[in-house]
Amino acid sequence: MNQEYIPKGRAKTLARKMDKIDAASQKPAKKKWIQNRMLRKMLSNRLSVIGLVIFLVILFSSIFASILSPYPPGQISLKDTLQPPSMKHLFGTDRLGRDVLSRVMHGGQVSILVGLGSALGAALVGVLLGAYFGYKGGWMDSLVMRISEVFMSFPQIILVLLLVSITGQSLANLLIIFILTGWGSVYRMTRAKMLSIREEEYVQALRAFGLSDFVICFKHMLPNAIGPIAVNITLSTAMFILQETSLSFLGLGVPVQIATWGNIINVANNLSILQSNWWIWLPVGLVISLFVLSINFIGDGLRDSTDPTQMG
Amino acid sequence: MLSYTIRRVLTLIPMLLIISFLIFLGMELMPGDAVSYMVSPEQLANMSPEKMQEMREALGLTQPFLVRYFNWLFGLFRGDFGYSLTNGQPIVDILKAKLPATFELSFYALLISTILGNVLGILSAVKRGGKSDNVLTVLGMVGVSIPEFFFGLVMLLIFAINLKWLPIGGRTMPEYTSYWQQFRHVIMPASVLGISMTAGVMRYSRSSMLDAMNKDFLKTARSKGLPKWRIYLLHGFRVALTPVVVLIGFRLPMLIGGSVVIEQIFQWPGIGDAFVAAVRGSNYPLVMMIALLSVTMVLLASLLVDILTALIDPRVRLE
Repeated sequence: MNQEYIPKGRAKTLARKMDKIDAASQKPAKKKWIQNRMLRKMLSNRLSVIGLVIFLVILFSSIFASILSPYPPGQISLKDTLQPPSMKHLFGTDRLGRDVLSRVMHGGQVSILVGLGSALGAALVGVLLGAYFGYKGGWMDSLVMRISEVFMSFPQIILVLLLVSITGQSLANLLIIFILTGWGSVYRMTRAKMLSIREEEYVQALRAFGLSDFVICFKHMLPNAIGPIAVNITLSTAMFILQETSLSFLGLGVPVQIATWGNIINVANNLSILQSNWWIWLPVGLVISLFVLSINFIGDGLRDSTDPTQMG
Repeated sequence: MLSYTIRRVLTLIPMLLIISFLIFLGMELMPGDAVSYMVSPEQLANMSPEKMQEMREALGLTQPFLVRYFNWLFGLFRGDFGYSLTNGQPIVDILKAKLPATFELSFYALLISTILGNVLGILSAVKRGGKSDNVLTVLGMVGVSIPEFFFGLVMLLIFAINLKWLPIGGRTMPEYTSYWQQFRHVIMPASVLGISMTAGVMRYSRSSMLDAMNKDFLKTARSKGLPKWRIYLLHGFRVALTPVVVLIGFRLPMLIGGSVVIEQIFQWPGIGDAFVAAVRGSNYPLVMMIALLSVTMVLLASLLVDILTALIDPRVRLE
């Protein structure tokens, strides 16, 4: 009805503009290179991209260590002991003449396996228990809660060492011990998240439909809690790698015969090696720090990108 | 307040009972029995089974499990913590000898991390989004990523071995006459421990300061035109302090658990050092006792934190 007030020429331009807008909305939105919002957001975070690159480089050079490493990790060569870094041995050699670089690459396999394996294992236990009992409640819930409280009232390293002294040292034992000491925090976080999701209306609707508890809780509720769980897995991988290296440094982690990052740096307990053969322990320490740092960067980026309060 | 405290203490007791029971169970399941630890191997080989049975009875080892547990528990209250397997020393004496060293180290570390962490955290909150905030955040992440022992080794190499400014390790020397001579030993381990604990404190104090800065009364203070330092230090920090007190409370148990690795590197004769040695030598009674001690400290610290927060924030009491 306003049309009559608009001069003719003006109306034409307006119509043209409208056409353009219509055309634009008809056309499918410009396809974004990466569809997933979470991934896109993470990749725009500079630090987490740097983290991802470092992480992948160290990960792949460990996974493919047997192809990439210049020497077999256990190859002893008594005429080349304690060589400083050179073109032949980039990180030098240790007291038995073993190539340090090759050992670091192979050691990464075990250290990363322990870190990632424990984090995933602990998350599996914690998420399963936390999701189900967080949703169901009841006496089982309070029982599991009590058990997690018992585990969490020990300082982590004390509990780990206590269990090591009971079970003895082996790779499998260490994994189990880490899972046993680590599930509590994931469990509590998942449980808390489920408790708040439980109050939402869609859950009540699902219940009214008569869906089974398992389906409601694992298929419909758990995906809404997955963001913080992913962050938790990332950060606990970093923590477990640090713990493995600390334990092995004390000589109480993975048995010494198996090369791990902690077992390699273990030799720095000796003052003369610490002082005059820096190449044996300094590069490993840097690799551990870099790797853990890269995981922390990734975890931080993940936290920002999965946080629903920062949509966009 | 009193009823809250009593309620809180009452929930603590079953927890302590459960954990002490588990620890006792652990000790019972360990190989060997007390008799074989009390006599020398040669005597043990020559001892008749009757004699051994007699000794077991004298020690109360033939009593039912639960009776033994309560005997042991009451023994703990009387200060009877059992004996070390390696040299038969009473565990109480070992703890008495080692605890002061660990407390000394951890006290300085706690002091350093609290001061440094809060100063940096507030700085980073006040300059939120700015260059110094970003730098500090990244530095904080680097701080939590470097393994403590690696940081310790590098410091050891630089300041003790190459520059020779500080001693390599140990806590004291027989010829020392004053605390200041001994103090040189604690500088490095305490700094390493303190600096590696700083990142956590910094993160925490930054977020609690940011919280405080968004409160209405701070906006009022700003709009009144008060000088910036007054706003942040006198008004903001006071509010941000409450969570920091909580944080310190929760870090108190770190006094025992946190210094295990550092004590090894700097040969600090503390509890962590004793614990690692006990684990290495399968000295179970000592391992279990130190674990029990650290759990007790954790539980007491969380009790303390709860009571403190209830004092500060009355809403907590009603829960």
